[in-house]
Amino acid sequence: MNLFIRSVLLAGLCQVAVSPAPAQPKISKDNIAFIKYAGFPDAHSTWDDIGYSKRFDKVVVGVTNHIDKVMLYDYEVTTGKMTNHGSLADLGHLRPFQWQAKIHSKIIEGKDGYMYFSTDGGESREEYLMEHPAGYSGGLFMKWHPGTNDFVNLGLGMQYESVKDMDIDPVSGKLFGVSYPQVHFLVYDPAKNKLKDLGRLGSSHVPRVLFTDWWGNCYYVDWRQRLVKYQTAQDTLLFARESLPAFAGTPGGKIVTGITAYAKDQKNNVIYLITYGAKIVAFYPQKDGIGRVEDLGGVADSGSKVEPWGPYVPNLNIGDNGKLYYFVGGHGNFLVENKTVLMEFDPKARKHTIIYEYPVNQLSEATGSDTKDKFGNLYFAGRRELDANDHSEPFLIKFNPGKKVSK
Amino acid sequence: MRIRSIKNVLVLGLAGLAMPVFAQYSYYKPMEGFGIEASLSNTSLLRMPIYRNAITSLTVQNDYIIGGTTATGNRAPYLFVASLAKREMLTLKDLNNDLPGQTSIRTGFFKTSDKALYAGTIAAGTGSGHLLRVVVGADASIRVTDLGTPVPGEGIFSLTGNDRSQLIYGISYPSGYFFSYNIGSKAFKVYKNSGVTPADLRVLVDEYHQKPEEYLSSAMITDGQGLVYTSQPINRLMVFNPADESFTTLSELPAVWGRRTLGRTESWTQTADGLLYGGNAGDGQLFQLDPATRKVKNLGKPAMMNRLRGLCVGADGKLYGLSGALPGYVHLFSYNPSGEGFTDLGNPQFILKAPGIEQGIEWRGFQLSTITASEDGKYIVMGEDEALSQLLIFPVDTASGN
Repeated sequence: MNLFIRSVLLAGLCQVAVSPAPAQPKISKDNIAFIKYAGFPDAHSTWDDIGYSKRFDKVVVGVTNHIDKVMLYDYEVTTGKMTNHGSLADLGHLRPFQWQAKIHSKIIEGKDGYMYFSTDGGESREEYLMEHPAGYSGGLFMKWHPGTNDFVNLGLGMQYESVKDMDIDPVSGKLFGVSYPQVHFLVYDPAKNKLKDLGRLGSSHVPRVLFTDWWGNCYYVDWRQRLVKYQTAQDTLLFARESLPAFAGTPGGKIVTGITAYAKDQKNNVIYLITYGAKIVAFYPQKDGIGRVEDLGGVADSGSKVEPWGPYVPNLNIGDNGKLYYFVGGHGNFLVENKTVLMEFDPKARKHTIIYEYPVNQLSEATGSDTKDKFGNLYFAGRRELDANDHSEPFLIKFNPGKKVSK
Repeated sequence: MRIRSIKNVLVLGLAGLAMPVFAQYSYYKPMEGFGIEASLSNTSLLRMPIYRNAITSLTVQNDYIIGGTTATGNRAPYLFVASLAKREMLTLKDLNNDLPGQTSIRTGFFKTSDKALYAGTIAAGTGSGHLLRVVVGADASIRVTDLGTPVPGEGIFSLTGNDRSQLIYGISYPSGYFFSYNIGSKAFKVYKNSGVTPADLRVLVDEYHQKPEEYLSSAMITDGQGLVYTSQPINRLMVFNPADESFTTLSELPAVWGRRTLGRTESWTQTADGLLYGGNAGDGQLFQLDPATRKVKNLGKPAMMNRLRGLCVGADGKLYGLSGALPGYVHLFSYNPSGEGFTDLGNPQFILKAPGIEQGIEWRGFQLSTITASEDGKYIVMGEDEALSQLLIFPVDTASGN
């Protein structure tokens, strides 16, 4: 039965069974492709762990069985070749007690050409068994070189804690991380092997995303959804006075979880953010101080049947046309019942357009921020539900609003 | 037909997705539990800024929750007052304005019958700590009187007292000298032979690489007879008798084999029957000490981790305590001496409301450092030891035994 379901659904995927919305006829099914990860039968999902190597023109993704095995893939954007580079455990010389359930962080290119990321224990077994011998030893900072395949384990963030997301100061090479579940903000200098714990910044639910600006400052949020800026030059934290925009009535659980995705437009000095409360925000960073925040409204037009803060958008990309693209849906929060939709948002006109709608057996969730290749193709880490028991199949999503894409 | 069944399966799957999938997540959430936002940087609200707010001393007088903090680096600590009824901060006092150069108030408060609170400080670097007399007025104002330094160049690590004899007792940091302070005569007396011995330092520092904060007793208690209980390295449970100024080793602290070098008293409380209960930081054992017989009973460990940072007694007759600390996180536990024994209540998570977050957010207590009961025992108040620390409070269910 399971094999039959998989076969039927895969056949559907091969035909890119989407429902183009009538509003934007220019974009067709030829603008999007779902690309499989080969050689990992147990593959379950991907979790924000996608990034682009400008130096080697590769999209790098970490694919997990969501238990204890993470495989590192790259996709060559010029040839369309997908390569499985093996498991983190083997690449990083991990012992069984150092099991890792996911890469939950972005995968980000450093100035040395390595792709940096961090690892995660994957919720319950990590969090509750903790110091027990069957528990979780802790999340690691790691880097992998897409040119040489060299892999370096940069060591633990905190004992027993995941490193849920990380980023890099492109100037100094310092790494930033946030721990799970205790929400500690970490700064790690690989050159000096010096890790600094700046303490807990969050509440009961860990905000999953941090991001950097062009000067190497890193941003996170506190429990009031206020931006917290790590000022890299001063080695200090600066808290925004005001919270990020939120819809009236947004539940506290949405507020404390902060932002879910970002996309950078350096040319126009703007970083677009999506909050867990489904707001789109334009953030204009500045070297000193926090910078201006502009409320661009919700992730969907008002009038939807769902509460405005309800839709879940754990992904964001910006096209060469300056428009934002994101998939709405996942973790039980949908804009259209039981469907995941690809949305286009024009920040200037503040106009939303639904481009595609997918039933969840074709696409149930997409993650990843700011992943674009030199051809203007946008990438997301997607997955689709296979059954009622949280089995899913991950795949890479390649989308270009301006032209046809190939796998 | 087959496709329809597939669709049904997928729809069922979606229905499952819409349900809470984290049923294994279970925190301690009594209905009436609540938080008070005590710390927040860059705000016009009355809050303590980052790195100056670890709540390391805590007591309750009537409606007032009174706290003392520990700062990191060379920053100065605060004294604060919050209201149980209003669920908000009322007063902040930056200790730097009264007594510059201090970084920590970590002794807890000893309360005298005239409503004065006594606490000790630790200074930055090699500076001298001070004994403080703190009086909170009816208007929640905080008045601090500097009573001086017991040991020049040393801070005050722990403290207790005897209201009847008007004596305060403490242990200096980092050398571990036992001292007393006479409230009436305002005189300190330092017991020079009470410090950590060179022989013990060779074991603790040279062999086990421990720091003073890892081997000095961080909690003391006085019984109804005026005897003072504390610990001294290595792993000795001590009593000081003011009558003859003698120090006597009662026994070893309950310890896990091989780890006695880690043994020190970290918390104390007393139940209505006069029995004393203590916590050993080394491996987190709770123990009972009967002052009448001087017998020590090892009650075991409430959780797997080491540390037992706080103990208090609720109106239900149960002990409430804090087991564990970094790199793990705290388990709140109760201990019923006459009933079920230990109950691991787990990680507390209460609703915190304040201006700007009126809808309420859930605050999870990971690193709880202090716990105390309201004067009537009906509320248990806990303080955090974080970069931005908050207060978590829950009522004791006296009807059902919680």
